[in-house]
Amino acid sequence: MSDMTLGGSHLDASWFLILSAILFTLGAVGVLVRRNPLVILICIELMLNAVNLTLVTFSRQLGNLEGQLFTLMSITVAAAEAVVGLAILVDIFHTRDVEDIDELSEMKG
Amino acid sequence: MTASQVTLLLLLFPASGAILLAGRGWRLPRIVTAIVGPGVVWASFVLTLVLFSNQVKGDFTYWTWIKSGSFEVPFNLLVDNLSIFMCLVITGVGGLIVSYSVGYMEHEDGPSYARFFTYMDVFIFSMLLLVLAGNFVFLIVGWALVGLSSYLLIGFWYQRRSAVLAARKAFVMNVIGDVGMILGAFILFMSYHAVTYAGVFGVINHCRGALLCLGPGDTPELELAAFLLLVGAVAKSAQIPLHTWLPDAMEGPTPVSALIHAATMVTAGVYLVGRMHPIYDVAVYAHGAVAIIGAVTALFAATIALVQTDIKRVLAYSTMSQIGYMFLAVGIGAYAVGFFHLLAHAFFKALLFMAAGNVIHAMHDEQDMRKYGGLLRQLPRTGGAFLIGSLALVGVIPLVGFFSKEQILGAAFSRGDPLALSVWVIGAATALITGFYTGRMWWMSFAGKPAPERPVEHPHEAPAIMLVPVLILAGLTVVGGFIQTRALGIGPSVVSDYLASAVGHMNWEENAGAVVAGLVTMVLSTLLFFAAYRFYVERTWQTWSANLPWAQRLLERKYYFDEIYDGAFVRPMDAIATWGAKDVEGPVLDGAVAGTGHLAVAAARGLSLTQSGYFRNYVLVFVGGAVVAAVLLLIRSA
Repeated sequence: MSDMTLGGSHLDASWFLILSAILFTLGAVGVLVRRNPLVILICIELMLNAVNLTLVTFSRQLGNLEGQLFTLMSITVAAAEAVVGLAILVDIFHTRDVEDIDELSEMKG
Repeated sequence: MTASQVTLLLLLFPASGAILLAGRGWRLPRIVTAIVGPGVVWASFVLTLVLFSNQVKGDFTYWTWIKSGSFEVPFNLLVDNLSIFMCLVITGVGGLIVSYSVGYMEHEDGPSYARFFTYMDVFIFSMLLLVLAGNFVFLIVGWALVGLSSYLLIGFWYQRRSAVLAARKAFVMNVIGDVGMILGAFILFMSYHAVTYAGVFGVINHCRGALLCLGPGDTPELELAAFLLLVGAVAKSAQIPLHTWLPDAMEGPTPVSALIHAATMVTAGVYLVGRMHPIYDVAVYAHGAVAIIGAVTALFAATIALVQTDIKRVLAYSTMSQIGYMFLAVGIGAYAVGFFHLLAHAFFKALLFMAAGNVIHAMHDEQDMRKYGGLLRQLPRTGGAFLIGSLALVGVIPLVGFFSKEQILGAAFSRGDPLALSVWVIGAATALITGFYTGRMWWMSFAGKPAPERPVEHPHEAPAIMLVPVLILAGLTVVGGFIQTRALGIGPSVVSDYLASAVGHMNWEENAGAVVAGLVTMVLSTLLFFAAYRFYVERTWQTWSANLPWAQRLLERKYYFDEIYDGAFVRPMDAIATWGAKDVEGPVLDGAVAGTGHLAVAAARGLSLTQSGYFRNYVLVFVGGAVVAAVLLLIRSA
């Protein structure tokens, strides 16, 4: 992995990727173990942003703008997704008080 | 109108009559049914006369029915002197019989009345298709359709269990023959790559012309095909060993017995052998088998007729016997003579059946001759016509039966080789027995005193519609013989000359000895006809069977054929079917079907455990899958 210049100092690109991996894992574990719907939504956002970070890193390293464009796209989609997800949650909270997402498992096979 | 259009129209008349009666018959007034039913047959008769008088010949192809690679089946009709001859018999005698049915079936209600004429017209159409077909495929179609119409008409009174059983028996026997026909046609197609008569016979004639296939052993495939076609002919014509259906077929209405089981359909086997004569001329073993089967059946059926008491059954066995004569004739190569007997038999046997129908009608459906007696005084016209038919059956000069039967025996006698001489001996013996059983039938029914248990004291003569066809046929029986008097060694031979272009000439001369032998046979069988009077009316002589009770029992049981077939085929099949229903169908077949269902339900139940409905579980599987995929990718790239 080649060096990258960031504010005058050199940083190895792998640091960014490691951070991104840690953030992604945190998000994934959060989705798996937490039960509050709101927290799960936040964890999903965390995973998305970890991916965005990876994209920007590679974009910078390869000197190619496609990764950054893709990140902008991803942020847009994430915003839309958050709106939809939150709207669904608000609607559910209107009808009943849900603290545990497992209470919403009504469509059993 | 061209000849090909006339030929097609000849087929379409009975077909359209059948369709009209089948679709609308139950709503039409009876008079319309009574006009349409026989009318379409007479229309076909007129068209046949047109073809006959214009001496039309040709192989008319209308369209291609099947085309698949080199396999091509055209719809073609072959018009030659043989098919015209058969069409004349079918539509002429058929027209008389269908007209007679107008009176005979009078007591049926409207729908049944229309149903009867529908079936009759279907039969006429099928029989015409059979004789006009120009290729093996349509021959088999017609062959199967006449079997179907025979089945429908035997079982016409379907409320009677015996009629339904008889219809089923006839159908099964005929299907055995159909299978033989289909296999035979298949072998011919495989060998000669053609399904048309012109194609197949062209190859065979070319082969004979090149001296390649002349005798036994040159063409095993032709022998096999000829034997298989013979199976079809034997089943349709009720010859041994596929004969047991014909006596039972007498369960059908009497006009059906006259038309299908005497005059036309049962002679289809004779037509088949005649039409296939290029094959049988080469396939000498199969050809000899035709003669032997015919001779044996003639004798066999005549002996059974000696002890039957049901008037229609006597006639049925005599039909088998007379068709045996025709098989004998075509089997020794005297094709045209066989067809002359076919014509003669159509006249006098249709006459006998219809006259018997008049008697049965007058006796309120009683068919047992022991309960008749002395009918001649009360039914003079029917009795007289019956006597003419009986004497023709016996072969008394100058009725048509004499000239045709004695010419067959004369041809066999003149050919002179061991096979021909042995079938001549059997045929001559049969002629004597025929004289006796025919005499027994006539004297028992019409002479002597009325039997004490006779169901009707003062029977009435049949109405005109039932009497006129009988009298017309009686007239034809009297004069018909004079068109071919070769049995006497002199005079014209109209039928043989007419058919020569289709089936060829006999390749040997009739000698004077045959004429003498024929006259001796005739005199002896006539004497036996009158001797029967002493046995069965005056009773001055003790009945022969009183001295031979075992022979009487053997004949009454019809040589135990039904019992043997029952034991050999019906019961084993029943046992297999019962075993299959109990031990195979339940555990194996039902088990397999139900087991498939159970397996699917169990699998679904197992898989449904994975659908917990918990979001976490799904994500876990998803993440786990992604991890596994990532690990695999790493391993591969490493």
